[in-house]
Amino acid sequence: MDAERINSADVAVVEERRRLLDEWYAWRHQVEEELAEECEIIQRPVDLVAELLKAKTADIGPNAEEQIIE
Amino acid sequence: MRPILLSGHERALTQVKYNRDGDLIFSVSKDQQICVWFAHNGERLGTYHGHVGAIWTIDIDPTSTIMASGSADNTIRLWDIKTGKNLKTWEFPTAVKRVEFNEDGTKLLGVTEKRMGHLGTIVVLDIKVDVEAEQSDEKALTIVCDESKATVAGWSYLSKFIIAGHEDGSVSQYDAKSGDLLYNIAIHELDCPITDLQWSQDRTYFITASKDKSAKLVTAKDLEILKTYVSDTPLNSATITPKKDFVILGGGQAAMDVTRTSARQGKFEARFYHKIFEDEIGRVRGHFGPLNTVAAEPTGKGYCSGGEDGYVRVHQFDKGYFDFMYEVERERQNRLNQQQQSTA
Repeated sequence: MDAERINSADVAVVEERRRLLDEWYAWRHQVEEELAEECEIIQRPVDLVAELLKAKTADIGPNAEEQIIE
Repeated sequence: MRPILLSGHERALTQVKYNRDGDLIFSVSKDQQICVWFAHNGERLGTYHGHVGAIWTIDIDPTSTIMASGSADNTIRLWDIKTGKNLKTWEFPTAVKRVEFNEDGTKLLGVTEKRMGHLGTIVVLDIKVDVEAEQSDEKALTIVCDESKATVAGWSYLSKFIIAGHEDGSVSQYDAKSGDLLYNIAIHELDCPITDLQWSQDRTYFITASKDKSAKLVTAKDLEILKTYVSDTPLNSATITPKKDFVILGGGQAAMDVTRTSARQGKFEARFYHKIFEDEIGRVRGHFGPLNTVAAEPTGKGYCSGGEDGYVRVHQFDKGYFDFMYEVERERQNRLNQQQQSTA
């Protein structure tokens, strides 16, 4: 009897976690879609920072001499 | 998870921050110094001198070109990270408690302290992410917090909103262009100050830490509370870990408030919670005083904490950390892997 009761409590906990996990990822999916749409409207890359870093690297140039900062 | 101990500060840490790549750690302290360290071995790269008061806050632009600091000397300073040159100093009537760059580093906000004759404000400065450029003297915007002073603030996704945490335990959402207050919601216990506000990677949600011993996960768009993490000690800081669904909380009762044994034994702990399930899953002890600030490494490899004890502790996560999964998470992972295989 006790084992059964513990078992059903465990099942309830696991069920609840499964629900929380699904709810979280559903929400994330929705937010990511909204964000992508808003970025498209203002014509901005979603990963802005990646673009900025690319620009910075391009600025330094592939042939720029490596500097040693003491 | 053997930590690296960074000892270079002589007084309590106030904020620690990684740069975007996660290879550098910036730390500020009441000792008026800014230190920069290599994250992988704890070697100190340099210090930045100029402030003449406790430094409360620091931030680094996303390209790791410039950084901003705010101090009890009533200034925000802008620095060239590489050379250590103080590029610009803005003066205010009161101390600056928090600075933060927006996503592309073109705007900087500063939270100024309330004092007799001065209300707390949030100021916005236009920034040129260029060490050669002349920076503007003028503030682009000033938001006056007449209800309850702001203690922390930051920029949301797309720099749409400025979100502030207040002394009274509420959060505000301001239109980042006009400065208009859109919402103010009490999320923590009344008159328990919000001590930290840190973003998720895409800045669509954030975590707050409060003296009410809890941390909350809140959406930027409508200030909806998603999760609550309950602890047993006043919190000074909270951060969201990338890659794994965890949050890390830091705090602790100051030694003078409790018996001194915990301070002697290095028992002050960083607390790990599962971000989605809200359960506490582990603690990392080590500091000899309350944790004033915690930061997650942006690529998910580790975290660091700064203590009232004057130390920064840097932790690289080990295999056990990455392997740890709840059964339902493993289920989901397996399902996703199967889906990937079937589409491949």
